[in-house]
Amino acid sequence: MRCGDFRTTYAQDMAIFDSTLGRGFLAAFLLFLVALPWGASSYWMDVANRIGIAVIAATGLNILTGFTGQISLGNAAFLSVGAYSTAALTTRGVPFLIAVLSSGLISAMVGMVFGFPSLRLKGLYLAIATLAAHFIVEFTVVHWESMTGGVNGISVAPPRILGYAFDSDRKIYFPILLITAGMLWFAKNLFRTRVGKAFIAVRDQDISAEVMGVAVFRHKLLSFAVSSFYVGVAGSLLAYQARIISPENFPLAVAIDQLGMIIIGGLGSILGSILGAIFITLLPELLRLATGAAGQSFPALGDLFVSLKLGVFGLTIVLFLIFEPDGMAARWHRIKNYWKLYPFSY
Amino acid sequence: MSFIRAAILAALTSGAALAQEIKVGGLFDFTGVTSDVGKSFAQGVRDGVQWTNANGGVNGKKIRLIDVDYGYKMPEAVAAYKRMVGDEKVIMINGWGTGDTEQLKDQANADKMPYVSASFSAALTDPTKTPYNFFVAPSYSDQLRAWLKWVKDDWKDKSRNPKVAFFYGDNKYGKSPIEAGKQYGKEIGVDIVDEEIVPGVFQDATSQLLNMKQKGADYAYINVTTTGVSTIIKDAKKLGLNTRFGSNPYGFSEALPAVAKEAAEGVTGVVPHVPFGENVPGMKKLMDFHKKNHADDAHDAIYVRGWTYVLVWGEALKRADKANALNGPGVKAAMETLKDYDLGGLTNPVTYTATDHRPSTKTAIYMIKGGKLVKVAEYDMPRKPEWLGL
Repeated sequence: MRCGDFRTTYAQDMAIFDSTLGRGFLAAFLLFLVALPWGASSYWMDVANRIGIAVIAATGLNILTGFTGQISLGNAAFLSVGAYSTAALTTRGVPFLIAVLSSGLISAMVGMVFGFPSLRLKGLYLAIATLAAHFIVEFTVVHWESMTGGVNGISVAPPRILGYAFDSDRKIYFPILLITAGMLWFAKNLFRTRVGKAFIAVRDQDISAEVMGVAVFRHKLLSFAVSSFYVGVAGSLLAYQARIISPENFPLAVAIDQLGMIIIGGLGSILGSILGAIFITLLPELLRLATGAAGQSFPALGDLFVSLKLGVFGLTIVLFLIFEPDGMAARWHRIKNYWKLYPFSY
Repeated sequence: MSFIRAAILAALTSGAALAQEIKVGGLFDFTGVTSDVGKSFAQGVRDGVQWTNANGGVNGKKIRLIDVDYGYKMPEAVAAYKRMVGDEKVIMINGWGTGDTEQLKDQANADKMPYVSASFSAALTDPTKTPYNFFVAPSYSDQLRAWLKWVKDDWKDKSRNPKVAFFYGDNKYGKSPIEAGKQYGKEIGVDIVDEEIVPGVFQDATSQLLNMKQKGADYAYINVTTTGVSTIIKDAKKLGLNTRFGSNPYGFSEALPAVAKEAAEGVTGVVPHVPFGENVPGMKKLMDFHKKNHADDAHDAIYVRGWTYVLVWGEALKRADKANALNGPGVKAAMETLKDYDLGGLTNPVTYTATDHRPSTKTAIYMIKGGKLVKVAEYDMPRKPEWLGL
């Protein structure tokens, strides 16, 4: 029976998954994810794909906001840059993986451009500057009709690898799963490197960071780039999954939702991005199922349940902020630590 | 003994009734930017289904409407569509907005899923591009053409052409008829002098109206929903403009004088589905249903619209059922057999063919006089092949 967390080698100290049980759970979870398409209906596959995409986007935002301390409301804009890049590239015959990568890079460049104000602006002021990014990108998308199709939107051909078309939610699930896993692996390790530590230093105290020899502005820009790369890849996958994109897919509410994901999940935590993305994507679906079922049994109250959906969504977020201000990730760690040392926790 | 036998019989027949259910998906907006008119339409569809089920159903089979509020959000519409088609196995969908309908049109085509939208976007009328899309009204483009024609007829000063401004949102719904309107204006001698963009939700239109005043528009067509129209005409009254406003079937209904009060006087509108309570033969069943179920509620032309949708696709379901083809392609084929199908005056008779999904091209123009909707004109646009899809 364990009564403490003892590490005797450096390898143990460096391990991300530090217990056999944890690794077992991870393996089981991955196995569950791989097996999912054989058990779930096409609707739940759509939900799973959207969760995967949201996880990438939330991780990207968390790198910028949670780890580097730069608030951004431009996420919907960067998402649409990624999505429209993919649409533009695929109509010109660029293959799947290259399109995803290039969309990420294009989005990263756009992100860096809008990251420039971070040289002088902090906190709420930066939030407003990135809000401007949202409207500039939205305006460009609506009016650059030759490239984006304007308000009518643009169709995206299904992704192909070696001639195999991933043309349904069940099929595109695997590329999304692999890319999500790869990007999470990269993000988790990023914060074990010098660059990642520099991001955190900038967040905690930018003046101290500068004094210690961290090039603050360069790292802020780099953080904008990495973050927008993630969001751009998410946008690219979103374009491939939705197959037709229009400006109406990227309202400001998307950026707010993603901020909600990292706040509820946990700022500055990769696990938090995952949990938050799952929670915010699933909650409206579950509420819709619940209110739909309730509406069927009490037709007269149907409209009431529909409005209730919005109220419950808001209430859940408020309750989370009050009772778990550090996010779901913190609660998860507390639960884990409790059971790890059960029953001899000192 | 007989009691038990009756019970078993009842159980058996109810089981059979359950098996003989036809599932229809409903994609509605109760909470989004178009909920001002979305609720009324959804209520009409729900009541229409309830009435149909109480009056014989589809050759004895009951319709089960599985409806979802998607709040005019595109990802939610796609998710709801996938759930209705993938999980619930609906046979067809009664949809709502232009944004989501156009977003889903390729998917609906791939799934062979008849999709009857409340969007009258002309882009949905060409079966070579959107074979599974239908709606029950003249297209937004034909409606705008009819209104421009009315402007031309109403304009008494023959020394110059009337000047017209368009108000619309920068989205699919707002922009849908604009190109057609510009071309038709040129054809009949109506000058389109100004286009003003309004946001999705707005509380003030003063700057757009002052812009329009500078361009000297005599008439203006507002292509948004009731709340937006009301904001614009109220602001225009405040500014003392004498521009004469008109609007489309989602901006103009009984709800408009109710919210805009005296500012709505003299406003014209395109009315493809008659106002609630209008003296036409088809209205009787609506009135009876209304008196029986919710006598105190107020209804409008958009509620009537919801009913006509159920009456049209309900008939298609009956025909598909008779042909023993209750599936996507069967319902589509049945829709295309509707020829001058009469709806008792609730809307003009509808016709769909395999090559043309414009149900009707006839549009009535109404004007608000003393808080009431009064018919002032009716126009029948020619069914020109080059206008298909525009």
